Amino acid sequence: MGSLEGILSGVQLAFSFQGLLFVFLGVVAGTLIGMMPGLGPISAIAIMIPITYNMDPAVALVLMAGVYYGAVFGGSTSSILLNAPGISGTVATTFDGYPMAQRGEAGKALAIAAISSFVGGTISVILLMLFAPVLSNIAIQFGPAEYFALMVLGLTAISSLADGSTIKALISAVTGIMAVTIGIDSQTGTTRFTFGNPNLLEGIDFLVVALGLFAIAEVCALIINRHESPERNGSIGSLKLTKKDLKDMSGPMGRQSFLGFILGILPGSGATIGSFMGYISEKKIAKNPEEFGKGSVKGVAAPETANNAATSGAFVPLLSLGIPGSGTTAVLLGALLVLDIQPGPLLVQDQPALFWGVIISMYIGNVFLLILNLPLIPYIAKILAIPRPMLISMVIMFSMIGVYAISFNTFDLYLLLIFGAIGYIMRLFKFPAAPFILAFILGGMMEESFRQAMTISNNDITVFVTQPIAMSLLLIALLSFIVPIVQNTRRKKAEQK
Amino acid sequence: MLKPVHRKASLFLIALAVFYLILAYRLESFTAGPIGADTMPKILGWLLILLSVILFFFKDQETEEEKQSRRIAKNDLIKMAGVLLLTFCYIFLLERVGFIVTSFLFIWLCSWFLGYQKHVKNIVTAVLFPVVLYSLFTFMLGIALPSGILPF
Repeated sequence: MGSLEGILSGVQLAFSFQGLLFVFLGVVAGTLIGMMPGLGPISAIAIMIPITYNMDPAVALVLMAGVYYGAVFGGSTSSILLNAPGISGTVATTFDGYPMAQRGEAGKALAIAAISSFVGGTISVILLMLFAPVLSNIAIQFGPAEYFALMVLGLTAISSLADGSTIKALISAVTGIMAVTIGIDSQTGTTRFTFGNPNLLEGIDFLVVALGLFAIAEVCALIINRHESPERNGSIGSLKLTKKDLKDMSGPMGRQSFLGFILGILPGSGATIGSFMGYISEKKIAKNPEEFGKGSVKGVAAPETANNAATSGAFVPLLSLGIPGSGTTAVLLGALLVLDIQPGPLLVQDQPALFWGVIISMYIGNVFLLILNLPLIPYIAKILAIPRPMLISMVIMFSMIGVYAISFNTFDLYLLLIFGAIGYIMRLFKFPAAPFILAFILGGMMEESFRQAMTISNNDITVFVTQPIAMSLLLIALLSFIVPIVQNTRRKKAEQK
Repeated sequence: MLKPVHRKASLFLIALAVFYLILAYRLESFTAGPIGADTMPKILGWLLILLSVILFFFKDQETEEEKQSRRIAKNDLIKMAGVLLLTFCYIFLLERVGFIVTSFLFIWLCSWFLGYQKHVKNIVTAVLFPVVLYSLFTFMLGIALPSGILPF
């Protein structure tokens, strides 16, 4: 059976009444769940599993795809409006989304997020259709050495996340990796820096760090500015994007759809690294990089495009190899197995209608996401019209419950306060928080892959330069570290003349 | 010599790094190879010391405006301490008294403490918001928040 026939039967499935209905329901449910603190795509899909028990597998998958996309988008809204990223994939969205909302352009920020999510999602689904089988072969060549190189490449981004002092950004990153060394070392079982506290054995959860450094630290700043009742109360600015905005967005959207998709394919990196790399690479090539971090249109469009593109990218290894590349797709794999579907190379051959049906409903899911969310933006953004004192109490409670709902442990709530204090002190002394969180996310994976690579190669460090992919990644990392320094010194010399 | 604030920060970071390194050197490593559980922490500790020393000798000219931004008015400090205290109470009571009651008290008291004058609106929100969240989490999402003293 040719893939064309498969695609046709997939179209039929996706455009059936049932198919459309469930994509719609999935997108709505996913968006709502994604907006909850601490609940991201993983929880959203896990919650759907019992609901899909007795469903037709194809319809169930369509529902899941809708939920997945909805949850990714829902997460961006709390990042933009409250500086409270509920999942790691939307941390980069806070960098410019929140300043933009503060400026009274919350509507615009959310509209940019919705549109770039749509573009990123759509382009990447097309890429998924075209390249899924080829790309999955490359992805399985990624061993520990390649991962290590990829993480190093991610970390070189730190200097571009610095706003002002590079040295402070580096310090922030080192302390971020230090924070992730707390807990049981996965390779040797040694407990590190736990002070005998059993609550620390599993390490510190990402959400504690993210909500602490961003949301709680922001609360401290809000307390000081609590009397400021900005005129924008009740008004969220226009949703309409100017021609210039659209022009600004088009570049990042085009580029990040591809970059995000490729990063999404690699197991383990996914939306988080995709969104950070998207943000950083756009900042590097931008004509006015100083606009980033202050509410730049590109700064919202880039991570939002990339994290959605990465979301579809993550489907490549899942559907074509049966290997889940991220936490979310692992849960999705579980859901598939419950439905008695074994994803893998044979899925396309044996059940083409199912395979293509899912892919096409991902596309429809994107369309629904856009037409559903644009009209809802004014209502969602009303959050900002809440008087400051009330908003402060609600954000604190919201963050607390987000953390509590994943750990069911009040110890984590105290930790959240500690990270809130750290975040606020870092702000006061002008240490950027973004490198901390990036290093926190990458650090653990980096150490693990480095040690695995060393173990596999019998402690031969040359493994990182003899493997072509690893070597090229490290080379790019080196270049992206050196080039800005050289450029800077040249510029300074030119200025002196 | 310690006047510039970044030097104080640098000394604090060095102290932190030393503390971290002491713990790192005490770690037991069971692997035979050169890379154990303590390798990465040791590297990190020394790296932090190095970076902090660089920071110490860095010429960091702070503008007057930046200095001002670090000064917190006494009144604001009291408010921050108050919110912190309320949050501690919230965490302490969450599992003992239950989500709905604790959250109601927290939102009501905290908003009032921060100067929200519309009492009726405040109480209505403080009741509705936790109740809606609770029903959403517990009944729809199957994530049971502590019910505490309430029977449901």
